[in-house]
This record gives sequence, C-alpha cells and structure tokens, in this order.
Amino acid sequence: MHNEVVEFLNAEVSGCNAVANIAEVGDSSITVDPTFIKQVCSALKSSDKFKMNVLQVVSGVDYPEENIIEVNYIVASFIENTELIIKVRLPRGDENNLPKVESVCDVWKAANFLERETYDMLGVVFENHPDHRRILCPDDWEGYPLRKDYVVQEKYMDMVVNPPEKINKDDIEFFAKMRVEHEDPTQVSGSWVDDHAWIDQDLANKAKDRVAQVKAAKKAKADAAKATEEKGE
Amino acid sequence: MNTTTITTTEEEGLTFKKWLLNIYNAVRSVSKGMLITLKYVYGVKPVTIEYPEVREILPENSRSRLFNDAENCISCYQCAVACPVDCIYITATKRDKDAPKLKASNGNPIRLDLHQYTIDTALCCYCGLCTTVCPTECLTHTTDYEFAQYTLDSMKYDYLAKDIRAWRDRIVK
Amino acid sequence: MDISKQEKLHTDLLTLNMGPQHPATHGVLRVEIKTDSEIIAEATPHLGYLHRCKEKHSEFLDYRGVIPYTDRMDYLAAMNMEHGYCLAIEKMLGTEVPKRAEYIRVMMAEMQRIASHLMFFGTYAIDLGAFSPFLYAFQDREFILRIFEELSGARLLYNYIWIGGVWNDINDAQLKRIEDFLVELEENVKKYHNLVGENSIFIGRTANVGVVSKEMAYEYGATGPMLRGSGIDWDLRKKRPYSIYEEFDFNTVVGEGIKGQVGDCWDRYHVRVMEIFESIKIIRQCLEGIEEGPIMGKVPKVLKVPKGEIYMRTECPRGELGYHIVSDGTKNPYRVKVKSSCFTHVSMLPEMAPGQMIADFVASIGSIDIVLGEVDR
Repeated sequence: MHNEVVEFLNAEVSGCNAVANIAEVGDSSITVDPTFIKQVCSALKSSDKFKMNVLQVVSGVDYPEENIIEVNYIVASFIENTELIIKVRLPRGDENNLPKVESVCDVWKAANFLERETYDMLGVVFENHPDHRRILCPDDWEGYPLRKDYVVQEKYMDMVVNPPEKINKDDIEFFAKMRVEHEDPTQVSGSWVDDHAWIDQDLANKAKDRVAQVKAAKKAKADAAKATEEKGE
Repeated sequence: MNTTTITTTEEEGLTFKKWLLNIYNAVRSVSKGMLITLKYVYGVKPVTIEYPEVREILPENSRSRLFNDAENCISCYQCAVACPVDCIYITATKRDKDAPKLKASNGNPIRLDLHQYTIDTALCCYCGLCTTVCPTECLTHTTDYEFAQYTLDSMKYDYLAKDIRAWRDRIVK
Repeated sequence: MDISKQEKLHTDLLTLNMGPQHPATHGVLRVEIKTDSEIIAEATPHLGYLHRCKEKHSEFLDYRGVIPYTDRMDYLAAMNMEHGYCLAIEKMLGTEVPKRAEYIRVMMAEMQRIASHLMFFGTYAIDLGAFSPFLYAFQDREFILRIFEELSGARLLYNYIWIGGVWNDINDAQLKRIEDFLVELEENVKKYHNLVGENSIFIGRTANVGVVSKEMAYEYGATGPMLRGSGIDWDLRKKRPYSIYEEFDFNTVVGEGIKGQVGDCWDRYHVRVMEIFESIKIIRQCLEGIEEGPIMGKVPKVLKVPKGEIYMRTECPRGELGYHIVSDGTKNPYRVKVKSSCFTHVSMLPEMAPGQMIADFVASIGSIDIVLGEVDR
C-alpha cells in the first residue's frame, strides 16, 4: 500500500519527495518534504482511492544526534479501513529559531488540539494555526518537556519544582556515604547510581575517589606481593 | 455584537391535547421509575459496611503494604531495578569469606550483608512488579491496608529495624 | 420604561468559568464560557490540570515498568489501556500469547468496558439531576471490581495484563461467579435503562441536545461511542479485529435517533447502555470457549524491542486508543505517544457549545464521558 501512496503523492503534489520506509518490524511509513505537508494531507483526504478522512495523531519524536525533530501525522481512513504514518523531518533549531511546519488545521479540524500538544511538548511551531498556544503546560512554562535534552526549571512562579523535603536525600546518599566511611569501600554495593540528579555530586565524587584510591592501594599491595614472590623464586 | 440562537425542533405551538399528553407522559415515566426505586427500599439488602466496626477481609493476593523479610533477602537489587517509581533503597556489603555461611529459606546462598533496606511507602504505587521478580519471595505484599500516618517521614519503612516484624502478621480484625 | 431606550443599553457577553472544580466536568477540566444571557456564545476548554508527564516518564522506564503508568492514564478503563500497550509490544516482539491468556484478556477487557459504561450511566444521571441510578450502577460495578481484586490484587490500577500473557490464572469458581453475575446484570441493566433512559425528563434533557453530525465526527476524528452515536458503523473490534475478537459474534450498536436526531446526547447514552449487552454476549462466549493451558508466553527476561515503530489501535470504552511506540533497540522505549480518544472529543466542545443553554452544555460534556486522566496524561 505504501508504494502506491508514494506513487500517488509524487504524481499529485510535485516536489513533495515522498519516500516509503518499508519496515521489517512494526509499521512502515512515508517521509515527505516539510513544505508540502498541507498539500500532501489534502491530496490524501480528497483522493478517491485512499479517502484518508480522519487524522488520528500528530506525534513528535526528538532525535538530538541527528539534530532533527520528526513529526508523525498518523492518518486513517474509516471508509477504506487503512492507516498511514506520514513523517516530516525538521531541523531542530535552537531557542530563538524553533522548527516550523505548515499547520493542517484547514484539512482536519482535529489537528487543532493535536498540533497544540506537539508545540507544547516539542516546540514545533505550526504556521497559520488558528489558536497557537500551549495546551497541557501553563502558558509561561519554560522549555519543551519531551525534547531529550529538557531540564526541569528550578522555580516556577516562586514555587520550587522539586522541593528538598520531598526528596529522600539521606536514603539516596546512604550508598555514597557508606563508601566514604567503610573500611573497604570496594565491597559496598547499592541500588542507586552515582550520576543520579538528586545526589550531591561532591559526595559522589568523594566516594568514587575513595574507591579508586583503595583499589589502587590494593593493586599496589598485590603487585608488591607478586614481586616478592618472584624474588623469592 | 454576538448574536446567538437556540435551535429546537419543537417549533410548533403547544395545543391543549399536547399539554395533556406531556403531563401523562411525565407522570407515567416518573411513576415507573419510582416503582423501581420503591423495590429497592423494601426488597434489597444494604450493601454498605459500617467501616470501623465491620472490616472487609481482602482477597489473599491483594496488593497492600509491602513487607520485606530481611533475613531471607539476598540483596540482588532486582526489586529496586524493577520499581517504576524508584522508591526502594538498598545498600549491602560483601560478607567475609570466613564468616559463617548463610542460606535463604529456599536455599539461595546469602553472600551480601544488608545495611540499608528502605522503602518509601508514600512513593510506592503498589504495582507489584518488585514482588514478582524477587527470587527468594522475601518481599511480599501483605493484606494490611490501614497504615495512614501523620507525617511523610513515618511512611518510610526501614526493614532492618527491630520492631518492623511487629506489624508483619497483623491481622485485620 | 421607554422601550426605545433599551436598544441603547450596553449589552456584553458574560464570561463564566466552569471548573476546574465543578461536579459536571468529571475531574479537573476548566471550560471558559462566554454567555449571552443563558445561551453560550463561545466555549474554550483549558486542559492540563492533571498533566503528569506520563509520556516523558515512560522514556526512563523499561517496557514492563510502563504498564502501571498506562493504568493511571484512563483509570476507569485500566484493563483496556494495558491491553493496548501489551498488544503493541507483543506485535513488535513477535510473541505468541497462549490461548487461555487471550480469553482471559478479552474477558477482563469486556468486564472493564461494562464497569466503565456503568460508571458513565451513574455519573451521567447525576449530571442531569438523578442520584439513585448512580448508586444502583455502583452496586453492579462493585462485583466486577471484586473479581478484578481477586485476580490482580488491586481494585482500580491492576497491572494485570502483562507482556506475553496475564499475571494470575482464573479458577473455575470465579468463572462460575461471573456466569451467575451476568444473568443478574442483564436484568439489572434493563431495569436501569427503563428507569433512566425511558424517563421523559431525561429524554427532554438529552434528545436533540449536543448533536454531532457525521461530517463533524469525521472532521474531528471522533471515535468510539461518540462516532457510533452519530450513526457511523465503526467498531475496531469488528472492522479490524485484534486479539481474538474475530471469533466472537456480537453486534455494533449505532445511534438511530430514536428519541430525537441522530447524534444527540440520548443516542450516545443509548449506544453505551446497549454496548453493555454486547459485552455480556462476548463474555458468555468467552466462558464457553475458555480452555486449559498456560497463561504466560515465552518472553525474555530483559525485554529489548527491535528497532522500529508501531501504531497500535484498540477499542476502549471511551473510543479508540492508540499507542505510537518508537523503539531504538534498547530496553527503554524511545518514545511512547498515547492517542487518547477523550482528548480529541474535548476539542469538539468549542463547536458543540455555541447556541446551547448552560444546562445543555453540562449534558453534552457528560455524554462525551471524559476521563481527565486520559486527556492530560
């Protein structure tokens, strides 16, 4: 089905560069050029063959390594009983230069809320959107939560986002403290990792240093013992 | 100025016959409903329980307060890894080679000494993932559901404390 | 008073805030409505009061750890939420689920559908001013929750359907109890429908109110009872059978406009109540067909889903539920996007509201059967 759609799209919308990604596992998809997304969608909706009359999801995926944000438009036909994933790959941009793509609100009204959610969560700007606001987060929230490099702001409206009294600091740092204090820190193991955001990094580094120290001392001791053994031979 | 209109289908005028019919319909359907309600007044036993006096006994595999039998724990960290909310804190040290050998109730050798086994019950979401991965079945859900506390701190359970066994076999009466 | 002066009177729209704590908004939905006397001119839903970043959380969990989180999205239909998620992962892994587990899964999903529709029935009656149906509905829902509690250990957030199968086996005594209960339930629901659905006050409040036309339903991507209430024969269990739904014989209930127009609130109510009977049919067939066997398929201990993406749709009580899961081959999902049906249904409110009275608007919101946990996630 995907190859048919690609043929149809390349014929109908010139320049949309539709490419089918046939997957072995899971669902296949179609990638199109971002500037033509609206034409592609309206072509699919009005075509007699595919009749994609329902927009199901607009779902964004962030790929920081490739510096790309992918927006998936999952459309379905309730007449032909088919579904299709249309992908648009946008450059990630930075804070002042958010990725932009044309809104499909004129094609399906369902896109209104779905696109607002994608803007809220991934910071994709949909041009010519009738009501372009955040939807789930407050209007003055900073950052876009579903981006992979998102860091929660420390204070929101003078409220601390992660107040210390709600973090069990003593319990989390028990492991690090024990390694600092125990006579043989290489023998201590724990369930919490050192690079956890809530652990005091000074303490974690101290514990790591001590472990390295003791390990080095042990190794030196073993080497010395080996050396004396060899000498004895 | 915005103008709004109500759209109704009953645009035709109200005749006397219709008025009577409306009244008849309303009385008929309301009395039909009241009859069903009346049956409930006199026919059906109450289903509610007067809570503090009468207590419901939960089914056996009900997932309520967690209990860890620290003597059987082999410190494998599987529960801490499986926990989706990261509310289990464990720290252990290796046992000396010449220390007496210990075994858990199902025969697994205990090679680590527990130094910290704390669960923050206030964070726990009672999903039961930790109890299913436990190899020695020392971490279990009890059927005890009355453990409300006044402070967040007292919701934290240190399973190495001495008095922790006291509520283990607490039976809901 | 001189009538000619009235025209010079300054009239303006009155802004009212409905919610976030309002008994009729079923949770924490805030709708900002502008009214011209009692007639609504404009309605703007404000979401996000129950936003818990479930999608972000999922990226840090392993595939099994996501299941308790899916429960908490739509807490009234937790079984269906789990079912959809597990089906998606199983399809990616290529796991075969044992037959007995499939039967139990379908049975649980349908019981959950009944529980959810009973909940709708009760709360919708409360919205429209009738209190006792709520208590009757809860009495029957209680039995279903009790069975769930015995099987999974929890009353609301089950974590019962697992990747590859189900957690606990069901025994013959429980099957027998379900069978007996279904007989009772069928009678009760008939009685409740007579009590509420045929009541002329209820009909007066719901018929011809909040009409959703076929075109509008398609345009906004409505699914589930919302779509079927508008007279469109679309049920994923029939049209695109997942799990073992193709084995069962049941009908799709479609709104026919019996008391008013097609697609009004009464039709949506009717579709839901009649769906209870269809679910009872499916459970009866399950009880007949259930066979002995294992309840857990072969699943590796550390789940690593192959690289790729999947979009899995299942039919939930409130509409179509979709999971768009992107995997990068590690043990954590790269992205989990949940398509919630309520989210799209809430987006229809700005178009449904204008021209309605405030009391009718309450009926419209109730007939959508929103669960805000699913809308905000």
